[in-house]
Order: sequence, then structure tokens, then C-alpha cells
Amino acid sequence: MNLTQESSQTVTLIIDGHTVSVPVGTTIYDAAQQADIEIPVLCHEPRLRPVGVCRMCVVDVGERVLAASCVREVADGMNVVTNSEKVQNCRRTLTELLLSDYPEDSARASTTGDDLLLDLARDLQVDREAILVPAGNGRAQDLSSPVIAVDHSACILCDRCIRACDEVQHNDVIGRTGKGYGSRISFDMDAPMGDSTCVSCGECAAVCPTGALTHKTLTVQIRPREELKNIDSVCPYCGVGCATTYHIDTEANTIVYADGRESPASDSRLCVKGRYGFDYAKHPQRLTVPLIRREDAYPKGPLSADVKGERKKKPGGLVNYDEVMPAFREATWDEALDRVASRLKAIKDSSGPNALAGFGSAKCSNEEAYLFQKLVRAVFGTNNVDHCTRLCHASSVAALLETIGSGAVTNVFADVHNADVALVTGSNTTENHPVAATFIKDAAANGTTLIVIDSRETGMSQRADFFLHIAPGSDVPLYNAMMNVLVEEDLINRDYIRDFTEDFDALRPVIEKYTPEMAEGICGVPASTIREVARIFGKANAAIIFWGMGISQHTHGTDNARCLISLALLTGNVGRPGTGLHPLRGQNNVQGASDAGLIPMVYPDYQSVASTDVQKKFEDAWGVSLDPNPGLTVVEIIGGALAGEIKGMYMMGENPFLSDPNVNKVRKALCNLEFLCVQDIFLTETAEFADVILPATSFFEKEGTYTNTDRRVQIGPIALEAPGQARLDWQLVCEIATRMGYPMGYASAEEVFAEFTSLAPSYAGLDYENLKPTGKLWPCPDPATSDGIQLLFGDGFPTASGRGKFVPVDYQPAAELPDEEYPFILNTGRLLEHWHTGTMTRRSKALDAIQPEAHCQLNPADLNELGVGSDDYVTLSTRRGSITLKARPATGISRGNVFVPFHFREASANTLTNDALDPFGKIPEYKFCAVKVEKA
Amino acid sequence: MKLIRELYQTQEEKGYLSDEDLRDIAERLSVPLYRVEEVVSFYTHFYRSPPPKTEIAICRDVSCFLNNSDAYLSRVKHQARDDEDVGIHEVSCLGRCEYAPAALVNGVPIGRLSPEELVHRARHADTLPNVGLAQPSRWRIDYCAESGERYSVYNAYRARRDEEAAAAEIIEILKEAGLKGMGGAGFPTGIKWELVRKEEAVPKYIVCNADESEPGAFKDRVIQEELPHLIIEGMCLASYVTGARVGIIYVRSEYEPERRAMKLALDDARARGVLGEHFDIEIFVSPGGYIMGEETALLEGLEDRRGEPRNKPPYPGHKGLRGKPTLINNVETLALAPSIINNGIDWWRNQGLRGHVGLKFIGVSGHVEKPGVFEIRLGTTVSELIDMAGGVSDGRSLKAFAPGGASSNFLPASKADVEIDFQSIADAGSMLGAAALVVIAEGTDMIETATNVSRFFRNESCGKCVPCRSGTEKVVAMLEDVLAGKGNGALLDALPDLEETLAETSICGLGQVALGPIASALKYWGDEMNNHLAKSKRT
Repeated sequence: MNLTQESSQTVTLIIDGHTVSVPVGTTIYDAAQQADIEIPVLCHEPRLRPVGVCRMCVVDVGERVLAASCVREVADGMNVVTNSEKVQNCRRTLTELLLSDYPEDSARASTTGDDLLLDLARDLQVDREAILVPAGNGRAQDLSSPVIAVDHSACILCDRCIRACDEVQHNDVIGRTGKGYGSRISFDMDAPMGDSTCVSCGECAAVCPTGALTHKTLTVQIRPREELKNIDSVCPYCGVGCATTYHIDTEANTIVYADGRESPASDSRLCVKGRYGFDYAKHPQRLTVPLIRREDAYPKGPLSADVKGERKKKPGGLVNYDEVMPAFREATWDEALDRVASRLKAIKDSSGPNALAGFGSAKCSNEEAYLFQKLVRAVFGTNNVDHCTRLCHASSVAALLETIGSGAVTNVFADVHNADVALVTGSNTTENHPVAATFIKDAAANGTTLIVIDSRETGMSQRADFFLHIAPGSDVPLYNAMMNVLVEEDLINRDYIRDFTEDFDALRPVIEKYTPEMAEGICGVPASTIREVARIFGKANAAIIFWGMGISQHTHGTDNARCLISLALLTGNVGRPGTGLHPLRGQNNVQGASDAGLIPMVYPDYQSVASTDVQKKFEDAWGVSLDPNPGLTVVEIIGGALAGEIKGMYMMGENPFLSDPNVNKVRKALCNLEFLCVQDIFLTETAEFADVILPATSFFEKEGTYTNTDRRVQIGPIALEAPGQARLDWQLVCEIATRMGYPMGYASAEEVFAEFTSLAPSYAGLDYENLKPTGKLWPCPDPATSDGIQLLFGDGFPTASGRGKFVPVDYQPAAELPDEEYPFILNTGRLLEHWHTGTMTRRSKALDAIQPEAHCQLNPADLNELGVGSDDYVTLSTRRGSITLKARPATGISRGNVFVPFHFREASANTLTNDALDPFGKIPEYKFCAVKVEKA
Repeated sequence: MKLIRELYQTQEEKGYLSDEDLRDIAERLSVPLYRVEEVVSFYTHFYRSPPPKTEIAICRDVSCFLNNSDAYLSRVKHQARDDEDVGIHEVSCLGRCEYAPAALVNGVPIGRLSPEELVHRARHADTLPNVGLAQPSRWRIDYCAESGERYSVYNAYRARRDEEAAAAEIIEILKEAGLKGMGGAGFPTGIKWELVRKEEAVPKYIVCNADESEPGAFKDRVIQEELPHLIIEGMCLASYVTGARVGIIYVRSEYEPERRAMKLALDDARARGVLGEHFDIEIFVSPGGYIMGEETALLEGLEDRRGEPRNKPPYPGHKGLRGKPTLINNVETLALAPSIINNGIDWWRNQGLRGHVGLKFIGVSGHVEKPGVFEIRLGTTVSELIDMAGGVSDGRSLKAFAPGGASSNFLPASKADVEIDFQSIADAGSMLGAAALVVIAEGTDMIETATNVSRFFRNESCGKCVPCRSGTEKVVAMLEDVLAGKGNGALLDALPDLEETLAETSICGLGQVALGPIASALKYWGDEMNNHLAKSKRT
């Protein structure tokens, strides 16, 4: 090692006669790439840690033996020959060795088509027939996974899948078993893949270079990618907004497989839903014709047994169309649209604008959301417009707007890799934001201290350095106690508090009483642990906070979020790399739908309806006078319907029958509506109450923009043709507006986006051109050169004072506590494989196969005490209703608790939930109510 | 080390590792299941099902093969055929080649016994005598044998105030003496110590590689048994030079009696204050496998992973155990260091013959009358050494020899005048390697012998890289076909490319040399191969 080499930052070497200068530490392979010299590889993949096991990339560096270029670092003066006869000869021999055991037909060649081993054999002119070494005896196949086919005889043990599973996705399932020639990949302790802890993210099959791990066919037979149309898009499911490429068989008008695509938000990763959940768009139950309720189907009421709440104890399933369709007749578009416009107009004329309301959806695009709220505000004449963000992060947004003046995240999730400490609370990230979770897990594997706080054990808690298993609903005392320790031990950032915050003096007296010992009594976490965790958080140079519905879906959800914000302000953990407040947003466009104004109190970009200046701005833009009063929120609108105050509703893509709390109440409310128009892609539970059903387009059949949890605005282009007469959602909104006397016409979604961005300063400058290929973060003052602003509020906040405000809060118990009659605590939420009310995911072959039925999870000791075996049925009852479903033992659930996923119509969790609201965010308490458990 | 120790402990308590126990361990140590599977399935010493009450392990590798281990195994199996409590299996070289065919009963080494006696002993396993240890000898390198004053070299350095100069002095002596790594690779010891000394990262580690597993090699075993204090002193001097405070002796599990000797010596060193807070040494028992002697595979094992060699560079001196600078030396190298420092460079030089420098421990096995470990002067010829070992057995004449154990190329009797030294043996077309002279008498089938050796490498290939994993398997398959009378000429056509590819592209030495022995057999005894092929054609 000579000193000049160490002190210089670049290394100069010769590769195949070319002089190349590269930074110290570059591998020969990467250096060669820079010089446009291709070196063949099988085990190497740029996203993975190089391991140098296939040896195809060997080059001659003049040493005793050849060197594997993917792992060997360059050295000054190195003379590399990448293609000498010796090198090529070795590569050919290696290829022959691998091919001698390779199956006749490669499952990859016949599916996606990119079999790197066969390609390499062709490039090296290896003739399979002429191979001298004998064939092996072949190895087994494993077809136990619903989505991935394993052929061990096509496995070359390149370790790509192992690294993808363990180091990229951090799912820790795949390894090697055995030794030597008998080695092969294996799952967990050599279980069949389908029985293992595999979460079917498909990363292994995506990186596999051979026919060993391939995607199973989900729609029509997968054909090689060259024969398919490729569309760069984004995933339609969660708020992570993973970049995708869909491979489309245009003849069959169907997606055949999906790939992750390079993007700052997802680094080419996908989860099971993103990779395998695309086939719902082709489900035979798609709505293709406008439907009008038959005269004899009045008075309105639920149609299917499940929605009626009749059937008990049955294993899952979709709506039976035979049960429901007889209540409707097909109509022409003109008849249906005229019916909608005239009925809504009649109600407006007779009962006033505030008798109308609209639910948009966070599944729809920014353009659709913008037009929908414009329709409700400018045409209906009311601010009664809301959507499902009310049900997920309304309390978080309320707290964020109140304290720091902005409801969006202050930093992107991927920046967790710069954090010393990551606090993840009330978030089952591995299931609900799986790809974001991979970034957090990756940071944890690389030194970030992970603190997880939850009332359930989760995939995150398993990775945590500290897991605080708190009693449900006891967040406030815990965070107050952490702040108590921070103040007590002077671990607060005094400079930050002085320069960027206000009302610190109000916080002190409140948190004073919350000693760790006092908090221990409520949340059940030992005082010593609270102290230790507070110290680690307080001493971190950079700490980032992630939270989910476990924080927000409480009657004190806003208080919970206020505490987290105070924690960040107290320690100055906002506005710098590795810091921030990140409420993980649920739906693919929940951020965008809110940004676009699907909120009753604000116009697009959170401009208050109560502000006269703002009102004037929008009146000028839209050419009508607007209602200055904030409208009703989701649960209030349902309450209004029940009370007869809301008479007409238009729902675009929402399914409140399953998603809103207290289903029995929702059922009555929906029956009570004079007129309901439901626009959706399937006949949802809510649509059973509709007067008119409009068949809409799925994500894949339309163009629009979607804003992810990071504030990244991305384009989802048209991938498929819409089925039957289904029409674009935004065009239907325009049709209804026009027919109600407010002409609305746009040439394209792009034109709608332009109108929206002209009224939403945060989106200023963004357009369909500069959003390609991986979108932009808003705000983005210079879209030509920048990806948008990642870190917000490094120098103050968009509040009146420019400061972040401490809002101290006291502990409030949940609205309904367990008692003798209802002794258990009910918690509801999601499963990895399913999406919300299951409309899409239960119609996806793979996802349905993995999680086919309703179930609840209880601690095994509780099940034992109740005399309930695994997969036996239990009846869960609350003061609002009861459901019967299978019980599964789960050690991660504390005794006295029940967890119910809310995706399943045959045992709807929301039959049980409490519709008590958080006073600030108006979010219902999905995460806590008293429940009784009985063997069914 | 945590996971492997936990696995060992559970296995010791329960006799084997059930899936349930493995799940428990995974949960307790927060290790994913796949990691447990990877480790347990890789190492030969972990059992997934209950073992028989008594286990007889019989070596199948070259020195034992030459002493008819195949026939011995059949006879033992026959003897114990009705005994359900006795399990018999073939194992890779046990490092007791002087007792060929070597055997263990429940892990305890057994001397040369008749099959009948072996099975009898196995049935009464609780009364097993502790046989198999060599008679204590006088060794030239034991500088303290006469005075009885152990650790005086190290203690003298510890007493010095000028640490910097003292460390430089040690390095200088080792360099001047020309001491090279005795594990086989022959890297200059003084330079290695100096490199690790210069590394700034801490903590640093000293690892004694006592995982001698090369068929034919057993000299380190004898050093561990008889001269453990020199190994410990060598490690202490290494720690003094490098600043390491943790030492690990990585010993193969089949060397249990020697491990005990080592442990007694460690206790003694601790009692003398030689070891303590400033530097201490622990013993780690290998979970099994020849590959673990490869220094980076050994490190992977210490880190609770499969023993798969790392790509090099970086070398362990720079990034070793847990990514920290790690000095790894062979048993003999460490044992030599104190003596050279004590006796001086001139003494060391004068030990050699015919212009060669120093002493060498070398195991002699195969077809010799008195197999064993010899401390020879370098420069001694192979013929002379064979004579020391009582000559070729049964009065036969010499046909061939492998100077460095299974991985060294076979040389014909005509080369027996070669002077034993790393360079001269390399010049003769083989290597001194692990210093394991395997002697082969006239009348031995060299293709069978080479097949035996090839099979060893196939069995012991870790499977990490393609050339070694697949190449060794394919060559063995083709050789077995030839020996079974089903061969064609394909092997002869394929072998040159395969040998080049394994030598050039394998990650570690195992793959690089695996096909050397068969290639050397074909080079010198090609007619024997032709005879086999001719038989194939006839059938």
C-alpha cells in the first residue's frame, strides 16, 4: 500500500488497454462499466451487495489467479484484461458446469424471458449438446407458494434471492441449506415456501437470473417481456407509492406481471399487493353498464345477506351478484346521468344545498379529487365533501396544522437511513407500508436504533432495539413521561426551543406530573425502560418519528399526535437530515386527495373555506358564489343522513358501509337517503343502497397523478382498456356538473391538473412533463433541476408566528372501556395482503388465496380459557352489534385483547366499532372499544 | 460464536437438535430461522435426529484408504450388523493418520484395533481407554524443555519499558529468520505481524488456526498435545506486537484430547499471570469441516455463519473477525516464534541442512512402517524422511508420494531425492502445504488413490462458488464411472479445462488445488487410466 495512493481520491488503471480513472474503492466491474466494457455476471446485481460466487466476472489482473471483478477493488496501476482467451475459456467452462445440471426448459425463458444463464451460454457460444461433464440427478420443485414457483434444478446458487430477501426486503426467509454440491436455497428451516414465513413480496423471483424462482401466472400465460407492452406506473395500493412497470398482454388486455421500478420512493421494491395484486381489474364482477334501481326494489334496503347482516358462520366470499343484481336494471349513460343530475338538483332545490353531500376517495387521482370537490362546492353549493382521510389521519393532520401549520410529512421515509434513532409508533409498518418498512428495517440493520411502541407485537417490534408493549390507548402518558425525563435530565434542545417554538412554558407544568413511574401504572411499560428510551431519543443527533393509525384512530388521536410533535420540537428533530415527523399515509392518494381539497373545511391546498380572501379566489376561479361555512365530515354526514338532514349523496369510490364505524347505524343511514349515486368499479356493499350505479374505471384504465406519503406526486398512465361501457371518473363528474347546469369540460386529465396546480401553491410548477419518470416532491420551486424539497421547516414553520407550537395534553381514557359484560378490548386494522374493504384485493387471485377469510386474533391463553381451538368460530359482540368469525391464536396480542381485520364483508369489523369521535380530527375510535368474546 | 456455542450446548444436553429446540434458540437469540438452518445444515457436527447410542466414525481419506479403510469399514459393519445401538459412518480425515485406519468411538480416538475389538469396545463405550496419544518426545523447538522456565521470552518483553522498540525487535527477528506461515501458504510471519500492528482499527484479534484437517496432516495435533505452552507464548508475543487483547484457538472437534491439553496449559498460563486482563485466550471448537481451516471460512464460523471463504482482498490482517484486524497463524508458526526469538536467528539458520533454513514438523503416513510426526531439519530429503519412518511398509518399494497431504500433487518415486523445503518441493511440481508426507508403495492403483482424494474435496467443498461446487462433483462422477468400468474418454478431454477453471476462478485454495492430484496422477500414471478405460470398452 503506497501513501500516494491512499491520499489521492481517484485510482487510475488500465482496462483492456483503456486508461480509466475512478474513485478509490470502486470495483473493477464498476470501473469497466464506466469505460463501456461489459463483463458478464450472474450473481451480481447493482442493487445487491456483491458476493462474487458465480465467478463469471473473473478478469486477469496479472496475479496468481484470476480475480472476480464484482468484488475486487481497483488499485493504482492495475492492468486488467477482461476477455483474454484464458478468461473466456474459464467462463465457458463455468457455463458448461451450470448448464450440465440445468433443466431442458427454463421456466424463466418461457415466462418473463430473461434467463441470464441461457443468454450467457448463447453469448459465449456454449453448445449444450457438446458439454462433456455429466448431468446431475435433478432436484425437486416446490410449487407450494401461491405466487412463486421454485425449481431447485434451475438454481445456480447465485445468492441473489437470499440477498434480496434478507438484505433488501429484510424479510429474512431465504437461506442456503446443506453443503457443497448438495446445497440449495431453502425457506426458514427448510420448509416448503408456501408454509414458510415468506410474505410473497416476490423480490426473490424478481432478481433470480434463471428459472429457479419465477412468477406464477395470475391472469393469462406470462409471455417474455419483449412480446409485451411495458407501462411505467405506480402501485394503486398504499401511500408508499412504489414505482412499477406493468407488463401487458395487449391482445388479452391484461397485465401479466409487474416489476418494481427504480425510484427514490421504492428502490425497485414491491410488496405482495404491488407485485401480485393487479388482476382485480379483470375480475368478472367488474361493472360495465350503468345501473338503475328497479321500481320494485323500493323501499331501499340492503340486498345481500351479508349486508343485511343475516348470515353467520361462513367461510368468506364475495358478494353474490345473483342476490343483488335483480334489484337493478341496465340503463343508457344518458338516462343514468340525467337521473343523477335531476335527482340531486331536485333535492338541492327543495331542501337546500346542505342537504347534499359527496364522498370522494383517496383511491382516486388528484384530478378526480379536485373535480369532485369542485362539483360539490361549485355545483351542489355545499362544503359537505369529505373522504376516507377522515377515517385514518384526520387527527394527525389536525394536530400538525395546529402546531406546525402543515399537515404533510416534514421528511421522506427513506431518510431514516440518516437517523440515529427511529421511533415507530402505532404502525404495523411491515403489513401496512411494507416497502417503507424495508427502508426502516434496513436502517435498523445498519445502525439506526429502532424504538417501536405498540399495543401489539408486529414485524417492526421483532426488529426493534427497544419494544415498548403499551396498554391500548395509553400513548399520552407514555410520551408525556418521555418528555418529563427529557426535561428533567436536560436532554432538550434549548437553542431550538428558543429559536423555533412557542408555548414551551405551557408544556412544562403538564408533563411534570407524568413521571415514568406514574406512566408505568397506565401504560404498563417499566419506568426504567421509559427513562432509557427517553435518554436514547434525547441524545440522538437525529431522530425521526413514524406513526400510523394506532396513534390517530382514537377519540384522543389528536392528543396523541400533539405529543409526538412536542417530542420532536423539544429535541429539535425537525428540518434536518434524519429527523422529522412522518405520519405514514394509508391510501395511494390520501395525501393528494387532501391536497386537492376533499376536506369540508378547506379548498385545495388547505386554504380555509372560512377565509373571505380564499373564498373570493375560488369564486373568481370557478365563476360561482361559494358557501363560506365548513361542511360536515364523514361520520357527521352519515349521522346527518340518519337524521334526515342529508338527503342526497354522490359517492365516488368510497364504501362507507364497510369502512365507517358502527355498521348497523350506517345501514339505517344509507336506507334513509332519498337519493344515492355510487360510482365504482364493483358493486360494493354501499352500492346495494344506491338508486343509480355508475360503472367507473380502475386505476389501470385511466391517467392521473397520485401523491404519496412523502409528498411525491407521480403519474399513473393508462395501462388497460376499460371494460364494457365503463367511463373515466373525472368525465362522469363533468357530466353530472354539466347536467346540473354548470358546464364542466376538459380535454384531458392533464388539463385538470393544470387548473388544480394554478390554485394550489404547493403544487405550483408541476406538470405532466416534469413529473416523469419518478415524480416530484411538493413543494418543488424548480422542477427543471430539482426533485422537490425533501426536508421541510429547517428554518421555521408556516404558522402565524413562524414557530412550532407546543400543545400540552392530559391523558384521557378511551370512550368505551371494558367492563364485566364486555371484558375484552377490540382493536381493528389491516392485513398485509388486503386493502381496506377488500373490494380490490379479495378479487385478486393471489391475495385472496393467501388470506381467504375473515378471522380475529387473540392471545392463545385467552382462547384456551374460552375453550376455543385454532380456526374455531367465535362470536364477538359489542354494544353496537356482533359478528361470527374464525379465531386464530397470536402470541403478539396481549391477553384481554382482540384484533379484527376490517376487510371482510362477511364479518365486518365495523359492525363492532364505536363511532365516538375525536373532537378535533372527527376521527372515530377504531382502535378501542369494549367487546365480548364467546365460542360460537 | 454465540449461536454455534448455543447449538453445541443444546446438542450436548439433548443428544441432537430437534426443530423445536432450533426454533427456541432462534427466538432466544433473535436470529432468523434461515440463519439457524444455514448453520446447522452446513456443519458436520450437528445432528438433526437422535444419534445411536454408540457411534463409530471411520476415516475414509487417503492415509486410511491406503491402509485398507474400505475393507476395514465393511468388516466393522459386518461385526455390528445386528446391533441397533451402534451406528457406523465414514468420515473425513480425523487427523490420526498414524493409526490408519483411524476411528473414533463416541468422539474418542481409538488406536489401531481389529474390527472385532473395535466393535467390542464400542459396545462397552463407557470403558473406553484414552488411546491415540503419541508418546511424549523431546522436541528441538522446545527452548524451555531443560530449564522448565516457560514463558520467559514473553515475560522479558512484558518487563520492558520501550514497548515500541521491543515490538519492532520481535518483528525484525521474525523477518530476519525468514519464518513463514506453516499452515501451507507460507506468508512471511514477521510481515504479517507488522501489518496487523500498523492497523489502527480496534479491537484486534489473534487467532490460532488449529483446525488441521488435511488428509495426511497431523503434526499440529502433536504440537498442541506436547507443546501447548509454546503456542500460547507465540500468541502472547503476537498480542504484544499487535495490541490485540483477545486470542482465540480454533480447534477441530476431533482433537478433544489435545483440546484438553491446551486447556490445561491455558489454565497454567493464567495461574502464572501470563494470561489475564491484558490478553486472554479462549478455545473455540469447530463445528466441523475441512474448509474451516481456510482462514476466512474460519472467521465466518466464528461469526456464526456458514464456513464459506470470503473473497480476498481484504485479508484478515486488515478486515478479519467482525471486520477488525485479525492475525491468524498456524499452530506450528506460533510455536516456533518464541524459540526463534529465544535461541536467536543463527540457531534457527543452523537447524537447516544443505543450505536450507530451520526446522519443520511433518507428519508421515501411508505405506510406511513407523508413521508419525517428525521434527526434521529443512533440507532433509523425502527418502531420508521415509527412512526415519522405518521405510516403506512390508518391504515394498516406493511408487509415489504426496509431500503436503491430499491437496499436494503426487510425485513419482524418482523425485524422492527432493530436499524438503517449500521452494524445492514447489520446484519439483508439488507443494509442502500442510507438511503431510503420504507415502505410496508399489502396487497401488494411482487412479483409485487420486479418486479418493478428489472425493475428499468434493465432500468438503463448501458449495459457495460454482467452479469448486460443481467441478469437484462432476470430476468425481466421471472418475467413479471410470473405476466402475463405465468410463469414456470424456474426462481426459474435459479435465484440462476444468483444472484450469477451478485453479483460476475458485474463491479459495480448496477449489484451486482440488483437481491437482488427479491431474498429477494422469501426468505420471496416464497408462493406469488408459488401462481402466480399456476395461470400460471391453465391458
